[in-house]
Amino acid sequence: MRQRLNYTHPANYFERDTSFIAAHHQPAIMLDLAMLRDVDSHLLLRGTQLFLDDMLTGNKLISPAQFLTLLSNSQKLLKGDDISFLFGQQILPGFNGPASQVFNHALNLRQALIHLCEYHTLLLPICTPRYFESDTHFFIYWLDNCGAGASQSKSQSSGLHTFLIEAHMTAVARMAAKMSQQNLPWRFNFTHEEPRYVEQYWVHLNEDISFNQQLNMMSIPLEYANQTWSQTAQVSLQLATLGSKMQLNDLGWQASFLDTLHDYLMQNIQQNLQLETVATSFNVSSATLKRKLLKHHTHFQEQLDLARKHVALYLYQIKGYQHHDVADYLRFNDINNFRRAFKRWTGLPPGQLLQANCF
Amino acid sequence: MMQKKTHISITILTSLALFAMAGLYLYLLAGDIKLLRDIKWLDVVAEGGTTILALFWLVLLLRSRPAGRVTLLLALGLSCFVFSWWMDFVDEFIKIPDGVFWDNWLESMPIPVGLALLTLGIFHWHKEELAISAQMVKRERVFREHRLFDALIPLGGADYLREQVKLALKDARISQQPLSLVVIDINDFNGINQRFGQPEGDQVLQSITQLLLLNLRGQDLLCRLAGDRFVAVLSNTNPHDAEVIALELQQAIANLAYKTTKQGLRIHLSASTAVTVGIDEEANSLIKRLNMQLGLNKKHLTTAHV
Repeated sequence: MRQRLNYTHPANYFERDTSFIAAHHQPAIMLDLAMLRDVDSHLLLRGTQLFLDDMLTGNKLISPAQFLTLLSNSQKLLKGDDISFLFGQQILPGFNGPASQVFNHALNLRQALIHLCEYHTLLLPICTPRYFESDTHFFIYWLDNCGAGASQSKSQSSGLHTFLIEAHMTAVARMAAKMSQQNLPWRFNFTHEEPRYVEQYWVHLNEDISFNQQLNMMSIPLEYANQTWSQTAQVSLQLATLGSKMQLNDLGWQASFLDTLHDYLMQNIQQNLQLETVATSFNVSSATLKRKLLKHHTHFQEQLDLARKHVALYLYQIKGYQHHDVADYLRFNDINNFRRAFKRWTGLPPGQLLQANCF
Repeated sequence: MMQKKTHISITILTSLALFAMAGLYLYLLAGDIKLLRDIKWLDVVAEGGTTILALFWLVLLLRSRPAGRVTLLLALGLSCFVFSWWMDFVDEFIKIPDGVFWDNWLESMPIPVGLALLTLGIFHWHKEELAISAQMVKRERVFREHRLFDALIPLGGADYLREQVKLALKDARISQQPLSLVVIDINDFNGINQRFGQPEGDQVLQSITQLLLLNLRGQDLLCRLAGDRFVAVLSNTNPHDAEVIALELQQAIANLAYKTTKQGLRIHLSASTAVTVGIDEEANSLIKRLNMQLGLNKKHLTTAHV
């Protein structure tokens, strides 16, 4: 897969408890939604160690963990299956100055989406979009970058992760429809099961949706991604892109710890990856790396398996590799070992997955 | 309205408190406080408990119902019960000399009066319910489940729709009559939300709800599926008639001259529709098929425009 986040400066990542999210941006949108529905702000902020007055100062920075707690509280307190979608509708282009303005000046959807992926730390801090392209389609898939999918008890956390995915896909689809001034033929894939409230997906996304898939991913034919947008302004675009770069530098954080690790693993997937060697590359001790992983509710093997799964899916689906090519690439000596491992990563043996054609 | 409601609540609760105090005072004047060993604690708990419960009913009633004749009758009736049980409770602590006769009156008389008032109140309540049910026709059928009603739009939501389609499919099988569903989706509703804000969008949905209800028949049921998408359940309706109704609803929306609440700007509305006929299948799959059909119809619409 294309790598955009260069693995250069290991200390340049934020963690679950790094305060860098402006409370008056996305968190404020959620607060507004909740308070319009008469939910008590004390209950909303329970467990976040924040007060409403903090949120209203206009310069308060909060951590992903605090934001996730706020979202989790909202999900519990707000009755209605459409909250994630209503929230998602409002988060793009966002209030991030140049980084948000780029959407207004982009040449086409493809450029806007690539910008979104490059500057997601500013635009969508708690869920990471990644892109790749085939000959016919443009794909965006989503990564849980702060361990939202594994926090607390299993059932609760999967609910929060679903909430994030629904909100972020809605955000992108809405932004794209608004800028292209038409309904776009997106296809949506979700890793979770079909929820009881599937009608919300039909209304807020569209009818072309599949559940129980390998990736949380949305795709669009290239001709739509490359369609020229009317409001292109070359100079403004360059200035806004430059501004975005400066913004990201000022922020100081390029990507999350889990994203950075994921990129490192993907880039070095053909090496013999061990916790100890990775820790050395990250300039930390093995114990520290373990502790950081635990903080994000995961462990080394899980992250390694995730990276291998993504590489394998890419090789199969986009590169058209055969079983033994993929096994070779991932340094499996024995094809049966590879099949077993693949089944552990995806839940399906490779042959069956190819038939299901997950893209 | 709100003020009148609180006004009545306060009047009733204050008078009740005054009466209760007056009763207590009379008892204290006439009798002596019992010794601790003479008090029957089981009676105290039982009679105190009933008083508190009755008071709880009264407060709930006053808080939830709009002011009016029915509310007043019910509240007065319940007040009589509270008073009577209160006197019964006080009786446990104060010994009234045998010569006094009116204590029995204070305890027993309010009950028949309260029963009469309550009966009259419930009778009028019944008539009121009939009137409200007439207004709820086309919005609910067979069973009422307030938890399934949408907070914003006064219609049943997706869960209510699923229950109703299940029932309607069963009826259709038994009576051998076709069941049709019509879905109505507002075109570019997101654009309205973006231009005029979400509160205005909510207003649009409420107006459209009223309009759709006006254009449906008495036996039809309208639900809000999600967002700006509505589903009408048409019993005993063949697909041809359902298509006609779908077209009528579409035209009604196109002809609605909606004005924004703030500036009075005209918003031009239009809708896409789709129709399916229920055959031997699950409610979920029927609703799904309906929405897939709508998706196709909308795709044709966009390609036709391009």
